[in-house]
Amino acid sequence: MSAPIRSEYRVVIVGAGVIGLYTAYHLARAGFGPVLVVDRGFLSSGASGRNGGGVRQQWETRATIRLARESVLAYRRFARDFGVNPWFRQSGYLFLAENETELERLRHVHEIVAGEGLPSEILDGSRVARLVPGITPTAAVGGTYLRTDGTLYPFPVVWGLYEAVRSMGVEVLLGAEALGVRSADGRLTGVATTRGTVATRTCVNAAGGWSRDFSERAGLTVANAPTRHEILATEPLKPFLDPMVVRARDGLYFSQTMRGEIVGGISPATRQPLTSAMASSPAFLARMASALVRVLPSLASVGVLRAWSGLYDDTPDGLPVLGEDPRLRGFVHANGFGGHGMMLAPSSTARVARMILGERVDLDPAEFGPRRFDLGQPRRFTEALQLG
Amino acid sequence: MTNGRKGRRRLPILQRSIRYHRPRAPFCGIGYCTNCLVRTDQRLNVRACREGFPTEGIRSTSHAWPSPRHDLWGLLDLLFPRGIDTLRGFRRPAWAAPVYQRIVRSLAGYDTPERVAPPPVPRPPRVCSTDVLVIGSGTSGTAAVDELRTRGVDSVVVLDRDRAANDGAMPGRTTAIFLPPPIPRAAYPFRVLASEGSDRAVLVSSRRVIVATGGYDASLLFPGNDRPGVMTADGAFSFERAGLEPFRRAIAFGGGDRALEVVEKFGDRLIAVVAPGEIGPDLARAASDWAIPLYPRSLILGAGGRSRLRSIQIRARSFGPKQTLHADALVLAHRRIPHAQLFFQAGARMVWRSRIGGYLPAVDARGATSVPGLYAIGSGAGAVGPDASRESGRTAARALIEGAEPGVDLTPPASTEPFYEMQGYYRELLAEHEGFAKWIACPCEDILLRELRRASEAGYEGIEVIKRYTGLGTGLCQGRYCVPDAVLLLSIWEGRPPTEVGSITQRPPLVPTTLGQLAELEVPLSTPEASG
Repeated sequence: MSAPIRSEYRVVIVGAGVIGLYTAYHLARAGFGPVLVVDRGFLSSGASGRNGGGVRQQWETRATIRLARESVLAYRRFARDFGVNPWFRQSGYLFLAENETELERLRHVHEIVAGEGLPSEILDGSRVARLVPGITPTAAVGGTYLRTDGTLYPFPVVWGLYEAVRSMGVEVLLGAEALGVRSADGRLTGVATTRGTVATRTCVNAAGGWSRDFSERAGLTVANAPTRHEILATEPLKPFLDPMVVRARDGLYFSQTMRGEIVGGISPATRQPLTSAMASSPAFLARMASALVRVLPSLASVGVLRAWSGLYDDTPDGLPVLGEDPRLRGFVHANGFGGHGMMLAPSSTARVARMILGERVDLDPAEFGPRRFDLGQPRRFTEALQLG
Repeated sequence: MTNGRKGRRRLPILQRSIRYHRPRAPFCGIGYCTNCLVRTDQRLNVRACREGFPTEGIRSTSHAWPSPRHDLWGLLDLLFPRGIDTLRGFRRPAWAAPVYQRIVRSLAGYDTPERVAPPPVPRPPRVCSTDVLVIGSGTSGTAAVDELRTRGVDSVVVLDRDRAANDGAMPGRTTAIFLPPPIPRAAYPFRVLASEGSDRAVLVSSRRVIVATGGYDASLLFPGNDRPGVMTADGAFSFERAGLEPFRRAIAFGGGDRALEVVEKFGDRLIAVVAPGEIGPDLARAASDWAIPLYPRSLILGAGGRSRLRSIQIRARSFGPKQTLHADALVLAHRRIPHAQLFFQAGARMVWRSRIGGYLPAVDARGATSVPGLYAIGSGAGAVGPDASRESGRTAARALIEGAEPGVDLTPPASTEPFYEMQGYYRELLAEHEGFAKWIACPCEDILLRELRRASEAGYEGIEVIKRYTGLGTGLCQGRYCVPDAVLLLSIWEGRPPTEVGSITQRPPLVPTTLGQLAELEVPLSTPEASG
């Protein structure tokens, strides 16, 4: 087990998932280093290797739409920029509305999204049926569709970033857990890991589902709450379904991957205890199967190949936490993505990196800042379109 | 197709591989590999071997054109002798990305649900609760059930994938697919999901569980190792039972008890016994009865023949001479791997056993695992031979009645066991050459050995990462036929023991289970605890 090469780093990033590696990438591109990334697990062992690969731009908050839009552009270029192909496929996201009330709500989102200049569309039942061949007629009276949303394979994104940052001199230590921080006078001075303690004045908490743990190890109470979500994949089928199909009511989502598997999840019926962090549950298999078969009855004859679970790093308002914690100078949050880390990573980490470089960014601290959940602060933004 | 010697059908070519459309004939015979996927009128991706290879009512899947025997897409295999790199390739020019996507995507998948009739409404699930659930009714499972009955335990449910259970509680062919960790303090801590046929789900709540799922025969890596005619011993027995003619002149590969079974059954049709190591005295004696030549300590270097196996090239280990043996089948009987997936699912502590080159649950002398109430018996728990299997079943049944807690003497890490034979075998084989023909490291997904090697050279380590990087082990056999060998190879390349290369998480379900079946379980599973 190797130890960090240096005793001091300009930035230590905790978490080698898509958020941590992308942050390292942006820092390295700006010539800011040396940077050390530590992760307790193996590459892609966390949510970056466990998500459904959706990249959407349909959100209720304008700032998030802008972040997502930039991420879509980044993923379009990803294969060329990083030499690894995540097969980003822009075949749209379709939100289903089961009744007029839901359609009304989607219409409201549509107006915000269209207001940002994106080609969002309102579809009636028959157009939904054309996009989702075989859909139960009662499953949707209509929906919203944004054709430039898409899906990708999460793993190649991790490989591409890993190889890129290492070639730029970033040190990535896998199987190394961050145990806590060293500080003096409210300023971060170092990070303790299972491979030894290193000195640094900047530490990025990009630990995803474990970010709450790490913040607490740094003595900071945070509002993040890790929750377990599950996914299943079916046997590969000949391609018949293009868009990612989602339903806001129960968080059902599913798409057909490049390999032909139907991959999807659904929100748990009850909040999941964390004791079984990475296990699958029989209840999920049944709940997801039931929801899927009701929407697409022909899938009843299709076999489920495997199911797995991962952690969402949820926040009370459904928006990520980005930026330095005023209680501990040098401790930077890049977490709380609530299951949307993959889709928001390229753009949001670019801003985190700029904050570390001391530049101004276009993020409102009231919307993304670490202290926005403090008592007395009125909640100005919430993002309700959470899935899975 | 019925021109066999005894008028029997030869092994049909029912399938083309998913990526390179290589011809594939039935291989495992026990319903795990993808080589006999067909569709029926109501179901996709049915394994013909599980249906006894019917001649009617099944159709080939729709990804080969015009047929699996003559598939134009097979050109892909010839055009890309070194494989297609979907990870690094198809990136430029930018404008072509959507075109690449359309082409690659159109090649995905075996079949489409629209081609089958709307599925019948699944039968309502079978839900029951019991004192003891026994999974597997082979030698050890049957012994355990008999012992339980003798001692007055009547509340026993038996699940078996192949046989009708001896108590009639389950009608047979009920596969346990998911054994989650027990729910602490519940009256019935174990809630086991199972699948009966393909249209009915089963939910058994049990106080205790005995797992007796035995093992299966491993695959083997060499250039052209997926050629029709290469099959496991499981497969050879199963094809023979189904009334097919599995081969006319075959080579058995293996030097131990399993190879002996092959010789005893097929002695008249074997032309050689080749073994990676020494050949046991019993096997040598049986082979000499049939005058079958023996080739101990030999490497399989490659396969001849295009659409069917015609020959096998071997070489005595330590740089002996090369030879070509002409045969239409290679029967793999060199290594039996325990079915340990349920123990992984249940969260039992697992131990790497060098002797078998696989993971077994850690058990105490009575068969108790580290999970309270979960017992492991038979060959899947390390018992060797039928007598030991029976004894392990009886012992576990008695321990269970006495309410034994898991012992403190759970199998210690087996560091003193001999170095696993196949590791040295592969080290020598890889030093020889990596061959021009494709080595199929993962047959379900058509992943090549070359891809594994490249991933390893790029600095990716451990089976969990290699699985995600290459896609190995993500296919329909759930990693059964690719992961065991991949772990050995990685262990060689990474220069560390197999335990550090790791194991892949066994993700439920154990075998593909239809969404229709699983959907029926929503109501029973939403109750906090199933009652009788």
